[in-house]
Amino acid sequence: MRRAPRLHWISILLGLLVLMSVVSFHAYTAIRPEPVQHAREHRELPERTLALAFHGGPDPKWTPRLLNALKESGVKATFFVVGTQVTRNPEVTRRIADEGHQIAVDGFRAEGDWVDPHNLAFAQAALADVLGAHTRLVGAPVEVDSGDRDHQDIGTLVKMSLREQRGVVRLHDDGSIGADIARELAKAPGYRFVTVTGDRLVEATAAERFTGAVTAWSQRNGGVVLMLLGTAIAIAALLGLLRTLMQLGLAHTDRRLRREGEQEPPPWIAPPVSVVVPAYNEALNIAATVRSVAANNHCAEVEVIVVDDGSADGTGDRAEELNLPGVRVIRQANQGKPAALNTGIRAARHDVLVLLDGDTIFEPGTIGELVQPFADAEVGAVSGNAKVGNRRGLLGRWQHLEYCAGSNLDRQILHALRCIPTVPGAIGAFRRAALTDVGGVSDDTLAEDTDLTMAVTRAGWRVAYRQQAKAWTEAPSTVRGLFRQRYRWSYGTFQSMWKHRAALLEKGPMGRFGLLYLLVFHLLLPLLAPMMDLYVLYGFLVADAPLALLVWTVFLLLQTASAGYALRLDGESLKPLWAYPLQQIVYRQLMYAVVIQSLITAFHGTQLRWMSVRRTGLLTEVPGGTVHVT
Amino acid sequence: MQVFVDSGGSRRVVARLVSLTVASGLIAFAVVVGGTLLEVW
Repeated sequence: MRRAPRLHWISILLGLLVLMSVVSFHAYTAIRPEPVQHAREHRELPERTLALAFHGGPDPKWTPRLLNALKESGVKATFFVVGTQVTRNPEVTRRIADEGHQIAVDGFRAEGDWVDPHNLAFAQAALADVLGAHTRLVGAPVEVDSGDRDHQDIGTLVKMSLREQRGVVRLHDDGSIGADIARELAKAPGYRFVTVTGDRLVEATAAERFTGAVTAWSQRNGGVVLMLLGTAIAIAALLGLLRTLMQLGLAHTDRRLRREGEQEPPPWIAPPVSVVVPAYNEALNIAATVRSVAANNHCAEVEVIVVDDGSADGTGDRAEELNLPGVRVIRQANQGKPAALNTGIRAARHDVLVLLDGDTIFEPGTIGELVQPFADAEVGAVSGNAKVGNRRGLLGRWQHLEYCAGSNLDRQILHALRCIPTVPGAIGAFRRAALTDVGGVSDDTLAEDTDLTMAVTRAGWRVAYRQQAKAWTEAPSTVRGLFRQRYRWSYGTFQSMWKHRAALLEKGPMGRFGLLYLLVFHLLLPLLAPMMDLYVLYGFLVADAPLALLVWTVFLLLQTASAGYALRLDGESLKPLWAYPLQQIVYRQLMYAVVIQSLITAFHGTQLRWMSVRRTGLLTEVPGGTVHVT
Repeated sequence: MQVFVDSGGSRRVVARLVSLTVASGLIAFAVVVGGTLLEVW
């Protein structure tokens, strides 16, 4: 097997980081805090010498008026600019520089916030973007306050500005008074006007200009990015809601119809059954599996064929040692699960075949229940109800919840729509005629069960779901094992969807509903859903934390209620629901990662091999289990 | 032959090149922007 591609994760994580930085920066620039004053060292000026220092701009309306007044008076001033205003008003900023005034940094979002080095860096970046330069003059020195924030009377302001007859005079260019007071001060007899220092602008490096362009773009367009993010989230939320509503509505209808059917049940059928168990290195579980099948209470002959697909752990021996009547073991060189299934199907004597994995435990009544839908001659395959056997620990509980709230509820919807896309390998039954129609089990995909089910449906057979036919399967007990299993399932499902894409143009339910359902809810939704997590994270860290908490809680409650309903439908206890909120933090993201990894693998065209799950033999813990591994 | 599998391997080479370009581009971007901002003029 070639190694699965990984490099894209660096791009994805960095891309998300950049995206988060853009929207966070935009939110940061949208707020204008209160000004703060941090005077730097005293600037000694000669008697009757003034340096006019304008703060709070540049302003698109008032700064040009001030510049006109300064031009008329022939006075050069110093503009202590605010970075966000520079980005908002690049033309005005350029005019200040072009007309020979000194440009200094006063802050990024508010006057005086340059004391924070990040704000200083952002402000310099804004200047680099607009002027291609940065300034050495940062922060105003000790100033004579003109009082223009507190008073309107020009006479008072001039008097206050000239009270020391020298020094740096603090003025503002973000209001109408700036130009008026500058004009009056310029008329004061005997005064000379200078800039705060003689420092000129320093040409910015290419990196500084690039950084400036990036921060300016983020400030200007972060809102658009946020809107796109919001749209993706809205689509994801709507899809999630739609899926929940469909799950609840259709599952409810399906259950009602089934109950009605139970009132006048069709005659119980009991055809002879061949059970095929493909097994590769299943020594830990195979005995329990075969015993559980052999212990069936089906009212007709049941033959069991274990196909040992070249196991190295004595799987075949373990099955043979049981010496159970009606159980045969066929050994073959390792050829993969589809080949093992085909071997078993060829060797089977009966026309109804039950296929199950070597890690699955049947209840005594499972086979009898599973074959009942075959009373309808149109039914070519039946899916049973796969349940997690090893539910101890958080991972086991999460998978149990997912099997009930996700897979089985999905299967009930798709049963109602007559387009179940997967009869799971853990528990399924097929009519031999249906298998013959599609040429047996194909090895074109890693999800041979999905591929086979789609093929059977496209061949015109109906696929049914029998909730009462329960099988207990061993779920992966490690995160790594779970990822590998789901990666195979997800990649295999995409392979099957692509293989059967022609169904979209066909009349049957697989194209009209099945493929579209998978496309929307198993591909599009998992790709969009991480945006919701990102948005919640953004809400917590940057924006409105209580609102984010509220949205997240409502979403979680809806999901939990849906999961609770699914558990009830399946006749399960509601106790494991406590683990559901935690599932939203780790497990869900793991499932997104699986979908992304599968999609990338498909683009790469990498040949993946069957990835087996490490077995633990924990199926002895099956609820109500009467079968023990020996 | 499995679905999606590129027997010649050319698609994999192209995909890796794209991944490598995007990843290195983003790393360079992060280093330049982050580095410049942290440098503090």
